[in-house]
Amino acid sequence: MFKKFSSDEVSSQNQVKASVQRKIRQSIADEYPGLEAALDDLLPKKSPLIVVKCQNHLNMVVVNNVPLFFNIRDGPYMPTLRLLHQYPSIMKKLQVDRGAIKFVLAGANIMCPGLTSPGGALDDEVDAETPVAIMAEGKQHALAIGFTKMSAKDIKTINKGIGVDNMHYLNDGLWKMQRLD
Amino acid sequence: MAEKPEPVKVLYCPICSLPAEYCEFGPDFEKCKPWLIINAPELYPDLLKEANEKEAERISEQLQFAGISSSGADGAVSSVHSGETSSSKQEEVKRLPGGKIKKKARQEVVIEKVVRNKRKSITIIKGMELFVTLPKSLGKKFATGASVVKGPTEKEQIDVQGDIAFPETAIYFIEDGRKVPAA
Repeated sequence: MFKKFSSDEVSSQNQVKASVQRKIRQSIADEYPGLEAALDDLLPKKSPLIVVKCQNHLNMVVVNNVPLFFNIRDGPYMPTLRLLHQYPSIMKKLQVDRGAIKFVLAGANIMCPGLTSPGGALDDEVDAETPVAIMAEGKQHALAIGFTKMSAKDIKTINKGIGVDNMHYLNDGLWKMQRLD
Repeated sequence: MAEKPEPVKVLYCPICSLPAEYCEFGPDFEKCKPWLIINAPELYPDLLKEANEKEAERISEQLQFAGISSSGADGAVSSVHSGETSSSKQEEVKRLPGGKIKKKARQEVVIEKVVRNKRKSITIIKGMELFVTLPKSLGKKFATGASVVKGPTEKEQIDVQGDIAFPETAIYFIEDGRKVPAA
């Protein structure tokens, strides 16, 4: 999704009013309970919160020029990878085997066999259509953020085709955009 | 959540900007190597070994060079040679990324979204002459304007106003009269 992404794709950016800010904050807190305590640091109540609208119905939450979260249409908010690296425990994790890393870093969606093979690992509680962190065999940090197409159980039983959509991965357009001015 | 989770400090490579452990999958592993050997040797034990070996080789070569002056020319030739091979290797690496081959034009229907004026867009459907042209019904379906336009290269294309968004699951191929989901 962010394979190519640059500031050209920004169509508007607004400093949102306090009520919208509260709403965004609430929905992030609901989505990631583990992050709630740190939320004061991430989205300080005082500093302005900017919502950047981009093409393809993409919204980004930006604080102090640093993109922190994004969502599509009215979908769930997902953290950027830089943020996820800082707070790795906030998302459910799926692990792909070593052979898949190369493809995921090129933007490929995550196929079921890469998750079910010996090098992969699945969190059984993952449902379909939820944001997840994609980890890799033998690595500490997440390499992508995905949006599951089927539940963990289905991934195991069907074991075929796309299991997780790749939303945001290392070295994609959003990763390279460390600051947004 | 009683206590605040501390942010984890991640070691990022300054050359390819990835976390150090992903350098090997980065765009330019070769360039990252020197930095990695200094800053994250525990992540790549092989690299260190490799570097040590190289170092040892160089030293032994130098020793040879210094020790036997008559075979000095020989040593010089070999060192030049190794330089050449490494440069050719780099070129190969550079050529690799993005080396995809485009498929030839086939009979296909292309749905394209063109941004016209900031937030306004046109959905263009090309190649529908393979089937039937049905601009009016398309316009009705999405409650917008639709028209058949003679494209510059394509024979005919249907322009539909607006960004007609539909999930990929709604697209079907028709193969042997059967509906096959596209995505």
